[in-house]
Amino acid sequence: MPQPTHWKGKALPRVLSRLFEVKDGHTLAVAKQHGAYATIGPALFDKSQFEMIELIKDSGLRGRGGAGFPTGMKWSFVPRGGAKPVYLVINADEGEPGTFKDRLCMTKDPHLLIEGMINTGWALGVRTAYIYVRGEMLPQIARLNAALKEAYAAGYLGENIGGSGYSLDIYVHRGAGAYICGEETGLINSLEGFKGQPRLKPPFPAISGAFAAPTVVNNVETIMAVPYIVQNGAKAYRQWGTDKSPGSKLFSISGDINKPGVYEVPLGLGYLEFFELCGGVKGELLGCIPGGSSAPVLTAEELKTTTMDYESLASKKSMLGSGAVTPFNTNTDVVKYLQTIARFYAHESCGQCTPCREGTGYVDRILDAIVDGKGRDGDVETIKDLADRYEWTTICAFAPGAAWPVQSFITKFKDRFVEYVNRNPAHAEAKDLTTHRPGAFW
Amino acid sequence: MPELITITVDGREVQVPKGIQLIEALRQHARVETPAFCYHEDLKVAGNCRICLVEVEGPRGFGFAISCHQQATPGMKVRTQQSSETVRLARKGVMEFLLVNHPLDCPICDKAGECTLQEHYMGQGRHESRLHDDVSKQYKGGADHRFTDGKGQDRGGKTIDLGPTIILDQERCIACSRCVRFMDDVAKSSQLDIASRGDHAYITTFPGKPLDHAYDLNTTDICPVGALTGKHFRFQQRVWNLKSVESIDPSDALGANLTIDYNISGEGGKIWRLMPRRNPDVNKSWISNRSRMLYQQLSVNRLTDGIIAGKDATLSDAIAAAVKALAGAKRVAVVASGHLTVEDNAALLALRDKLAGAEVFGGSWLPVGAADGIALSGDPVANRAGLTLLGIPQNLDDLAKRAGEFDAIVIAGNDLWAADPLKAAKLGSIPVRIVLDAWQTATVKQATIAIGIRAWAEIRGTMINRQERIQVLNACPVVAGPGLEPAWRVVSDLASLGWTNETQAFKAAQARSQRLAGLSYRGIGPMGVVLPAVAAPAAAAGVA
Repeated sequence: MPQPTHWKGKALPRVLSRLFEVKDGHTLAVAKQHGAYATIGPALFDKSQFEMIELIKDSGLRGRGGAGFPTGMKWSFVPRGGAKPVYLVINADEGEPGTFKDRLCMTKDPHLLIEGMINTGWALGVRTAYIYVRGEMLPQIARLNAALKEAYAAGYLGENIGGSGYSLDIYVHRGAGAYICGEETGLINSLEGFKGQPRLKPPFPAISGAFAAPTVVNNVETIMAVPYIVQNGAKAYRQWGTDKSPGSKLFSISGDINKPGVYEVPLGLGYLEFFELCGGVKGELLGCIPGGSSAPVLTAEELKTTTMDYESLASKKSMLGSGAVTPFNTNTDVVKYLQTIARFYAHESCGQCTPCREGTGYVDRILDAIVDGKGRDGDVETIKDLADRYEWTTICAFAPGAAWPVQSFITKFKDRFVEYVNRNPAHAEAKDLTTHRPGAFW
Repeated sequence: MPELITITVDGREVQVPKGIQLIEALRQHARVETPAFCYHEDLKVAGNCRICLVEVEGPRGFGFAISCHQQATPGMKVRTQQSSETVRLARKGVMEFLLVNHPLDCPICDKAGECTLQEHYMGQGRHESRLHDDVSKQYKGGADHRFTDGKGQDRGGKTIDLGPTIILDQERCIACSRCVRFMDDVAKSSQLDIASRGDHAYITTFPGKPLDHAYDLNTTDICPVGALTGKHFRFQQRVWNLKSVESIDPSDALGANLTIDYNISGEGGKIWRLMPRRNPDVNKSWISNRSRMLYQQLSVNRLTDGIIAGKDATLSDAIAAAVKALAGAKRVAVVASGHLTVEDNAALLALRDKLAGAEVFGGSWLPVGAADGIALSGDPVANRAGLTLLGIPQNLDDLAKRAGEFDAIVIAGNDLWAADPLKAAKLGSIPVRIVLDAWQTATVKQATIAIGIRAWAEIRGTMINRQERIQVLNACPVVAGPGLEPAWRVVSDLASLGWTNETQAFKAAQARSQRLAGLSYRGIGPMGVVLPAVAAPAAAAGVA
């Protein structure tokens, strides 16, 4: 479904989605007609590494993978002139339920990603870079490999790029499809061939990441915004968005919406306005998951005053996350909705930390009982309490991400859960534990 | 003395050494009980159990941090369960999560009584279960080993035979990864791993491969629950019925520290197992499977009586016969042993001094291997350094050459005929062969008079390991036969020294080496003491 080019008389940004609707935009020939690799030359190589990092800092670009960490600051943590090589790893393990923007980026415009990687590689002094792609994305892996081949043939990769003396090699690494491998240290472990489990921090990847060398892990979308900034400057990028959340972002919208898809819009757009842009909500809006399944749900009432930027969502105790917007209408069974989300997290927990390993499954099993009409009084409070217990007690941000939907759904739609529990005729009966005690011994 | 820094724990200022892990600072210096499942002093930090978490002040106020992965830094402000309700609740939560899928089969579990999970439940949990009939447990286990109980309930992976020494009960596992890290980092043979993820993660070996490392039984010690159990101890004893004494590994010159777990029940009692005893400078927390199984020899093939000319005799008759035989001998060879304690060898030296024309020989014909870097030095002669200290030469080859010079030989705790039968055969020409040994060895079979003695677990004494560390063996009251005496006591009878206490024997040893001066059993303590550098070489020379 084509995106609108204008909204309310203003042109929508085309920083990332330039080639999304261009036929064969993934090929080098077509991409070059539309300005691909324009930065590979003096625009890039006349800038020092320091200038590059300052430029990105000035642009206010923030990580688009979920956490929204300022990209320039992340780059500045990498130690300079060390004995170890610096690695750049592109996180293309897009796994947040509801998110499908990176997949589209890699399908439609792999050359912009490669160009962004060359830009970033130059800024950080990277000789070898990896693209860690979710294992299921076979067509995207094929596209990336084809694009890399073209880029090598055209001299944009390999030794001495464009006569600058700078050399960069890019490898595509196929993951196995685990959600947790989208966490940067889990991703690094997986890249190194270990089980995809997040590492203890410190040390942070910028100091000791892949192969114990300084490593920068950035999302596909983040890196794809870099060439525009290099070419047009930080000020041009700041024409969109808010002061603290400048620029544009890709939003994957799905759910009860008339025109689902990926849209590039400036940050700071109101959620209700965005729904309008996407053809309007089907039925009456009940609530919306504003940034991927981890983001705490917002009610229709809250959405009225929420805009699509990091600060507005933080003030609503939610988050922009990966930009997966999932509105749902009043016909939605929110209990089953949460059950699906909880099952996802129980399935994807890496099994390292106790609270997340056992807690996500526990919550899932209680929700299953509630949905099956076997809930008991107090179960809803138990789930909320369990989520509170595992929220901040683990190595990585998976557990908070698994806790937030549970906490927010139960807080905001509690009556629906209680209603479900009351469907069990025996809901008020005392819990007895006969089957879980080894009988005779106790 | 390490540099001290000050940290604040629950509002109290505490001095701790610089660079110490926070969990150790809390445990050792702040005296705050800090639980842990995955943390182990001698393993890499994994930080996955989350029970040791505390609140540490950072730029954005107090936040959770796990104390096992934090170094204490100057000025650090820490809140523990003693002052923070948040920490207390978080730990309670961790305990609830650990137990929600645990089978709670403590009544039939070998670990009950020494189980970290039980211990910390009493300390941190004490919660009521929030499960009910319609919310089942997710028992851990792979698809290959599912066990269904009598009620038709799936109980997870039960009784999985991992290899020659270990049985695995996957459903008890709390996925702390201690065993995996032990095999990876200490044993350096990655035979174990956690398969799958989430609450269906389970411990397993690689498909079709056993767990068969020479140190694998250490995983049963560090397992905080009853998931890994040693076949030798499984269903043998409840641990609260066991008593223990501290001793060392007598089969290797490293002298790995261990405890002897025994109980007195019925006739004479029984030694049930040996457990490694942590000594960071010697064996860390590990002992080899071979050392661990030494207790099984203590009740097998023992020489509990005397033998005179191939016929069984009482111990006292054998001693009397030996005294008589020695009195009639002109030249006696006394063979000391590195398998015996310093006390025993001091007694043998005293015997040499008593007998005119006697000469002492020592050492072993056993081959010396290479150290494995964990808990074995490769040298089977545990007290070799003790022989050197007492000035006993290691010259068995010399003895074999000069066998014709002697008309009597006393061999104590040294199985020469097993170590090198060809060389030992030359000793067969000596007419009087008195052998003191705890087992019916090949050498005992060659003896004209054999006298049973107590084995290493049954005596109190000292040995000096390869690091010149003097370590104490303590006596377990379980003794193979009535009337058995330690070697020093038997030698004292042979030489009519009149020693009745091992302290007398130790004093005699101290008289022979100044490096032992000022030491006592209590002073040496459970961790041993590294002997001071050679104080006066003349002292050693004087007795030789």
